[in-house]
Amino acid sequence: MLFLQSLISGLLTGGVYALAGMGMSMVFGVMNVSNFAHGDLMMLGMYLAYFAFTLLNIDPYLSLVLIIPLAFMFGYVLEKVFINRVIHHPHQNQILLTIGLGLIMSNSALLAFTSDPRILTTSYSSSSFTVFRDVSVSVPLLLSFIITCGITALLYLFLSGTRTGMALRATSQNREAAQLMGINVSRITAIAFGIGTALAAAAGALIAPTYYIHPLAGHSFLLKAFTICVLGGLGSVVGATVGGLIIGVVEALSSVYLSSDWKDVVVFVLFLAVLLFRPQGLFGKKGDQ
Amino acid sequence: MMKQAIASAFLVVAAIALPLLIGDNPYVTGILITLLMMATLASAWNIVGGYAGQFSFGHAAYFGAGAYSTMIMLSVFNTNPLVGMATGIVVSSLIALVTGSIVFRLKGHYFALASIAVAEIVRLTVLNLDFTGGAQGILLSDVAFLGLDLNSKNPFYYGMLSCLVVTLGITAYLRRTRTGYYLQAIREDQDAAASLAINIAYYKNKALLISAALTSVVGSIYALYIRFIDTTAVLDLRLSIEILLTAIIGGVGTLWGPLLGAALLVPLAEMLRSNVLGDAMVRIGIVSETSPIGMFFKDGLAHAHVLVYGIITVLCILYLPKGILGLLRRGK
Repeated sequence: MLFLQSLISGLLTGGVYALAGMGMSMVFGVMNVSNFAHGDLMMLGMYLAYFAFTLLNIDPYLSLVLIIPLAFMFGYVLEKVFINRVIHHPHQNQILLTIGLGLIMSNSALLAFTSDPRILTTSYSSSSFTVFRDVSVSVPLLLSFIITCGITALLYLFLSGTRTGMALRATSQNREAAQLMGINVSRITAIAFGIGTALAAAAGALIAPTYYIHPLAGHSFLLKAFTICVLGGLGSVVGATVGGLIIGVVEALSSVYLSSDWKDVVVFVLFLAVLLFRPQGLFGKKGDQ
Repeated sequence: MMKQAIASAFLVVAAIALPLLIGDNPYVTGILITLLMMATLASAWNIVGGYAGQFSFGHAAYFGAGAYSTMIMLSVFNTNPLVGMATGIVVSSLIALVTGSIVFRLKGHYFALASIAVAEIVRLTVLNLDFTGGAQGILLSDVAFLGLDLNSKNPFYYGMLSCLVVTLGITAYLRRTRTGYYLQAIREDQDAAASLAINIAYYKNKALLISAALTSVVGSIYALYIRFIDTTAVLDLRLSIEILLTAIIGGVGTLWGPLLGAALLVPLAEMLRSNVLGDAMVRIGIVSETSPIGMFFKDGLAHAHVLVYGIITVLCILYLPKGILGLLRRGK
């Protein structure tokens, strides 16, 4: 029963992780940039949800309607102003630029919101219902999982069904060829970063009701998002979905059967194991590592 | 070449004489020790990050390994500090070997990611074990070594200075050897280097091992100097990032860049921390002390040195990708 219980809560949390992982994978796939500010973008999403709730009295899940377009525009501008200039630079410079941007975000948040952790308590924060016998499901986790599924479905529809989505996939496959086919690659790149930012912020907002909200919360999520992407195969959006669910379950099981102190260690060891035995990830193509 | 040798000899003599000029001023000596420490750490990082082009985001693990080994050997086994230092070198070399053997067959950014993961594993392990003091850290009341007065700061000044001289010496030597050229070839084009039959994983590992051992020694001296360590002080990701930013902002892949970076950033951070800047702005009258902006500058800036590092990094990458040393060279 304990196993089933932790499996379910792991899958539910994993869904939200998957959302953050997809954002990072999208950026990596289209731009070939490892975004080290991803965790901090999630942190901004957490604070947006928090302030929408405390100041404007908007339910954190409902506030996604505002947060997603806002984060998309923020990411779009961020790409146009900063990231765009290093897109042809060596990897190290891209990593450093995103680290610098992340440091600016997290430390500005530290100055503005202080280092006191905040908690977003809704009327249903601690409510749960019993599925059968002693297996129960937490309401906020289930809600965020359902919303995650909705966002993922929309993302797949967008990528497969619209012209912009096809252009995104084409750019991800081969930047030069896409450009030759008349795709406005620089616009697509900004859109990709906007979507990546929107997904990160959405993931942040979705976990805000169940986590401590803190300016440096992004650090641990950044590593988790990387683990998810590498596990699924860098750049693969499908891979990130599966990777997120796996990481959620691994984390839940190891905190039950080992101890919650060691759950992050287990995740990072898994990350190194993937690099050692299958560096292309579960869904990645071999040869580019 | 000759000119550079004379200039460096002059610098070393000046650095040796400096404490005599300062006299008994623990505050200034303290800042100088931090400066030398960051310069050494950034120079050691530069061997693997600058010359081999493998950006490590986890050098805190090697620093912490040195610090923790020294403290544990001293407090539990009551050994000579040198035994602790040697243990630290062994431990950090092992960490480096594990990291290197997993990722050095892969390309650049995988090493960046793996180095963070390894450093976080080390940090969380130290935090969760008992004999490492866990979240409380380790406090050491008294140390004796060679009859030196370790309550004074001067021995540590000379200790850090020797580390810096050795690290810069090794860097200068490596640059002119086969290993140094191979490392730079790997940095410029890994595939081309491999096609010339350079054993890529071997040379990257070699660079990382040298870098890790030097970093670990600095960690040991730091532990003896502060005599209190915990995971936030010596194993945090923030320390890894400060080390690499110091090297980048000064000039990555150059001999003197990391030293220049430390000479700029450490006093800047100190000025922000001790609020010299905030006070000055109030005194000059740019902002009033009672206005919200004035209060922000007075209280907020004290915690803002990482924010300033972030801004400098972004500006550096966009406008000075070769660091400040690159800018100076271009001016010639």
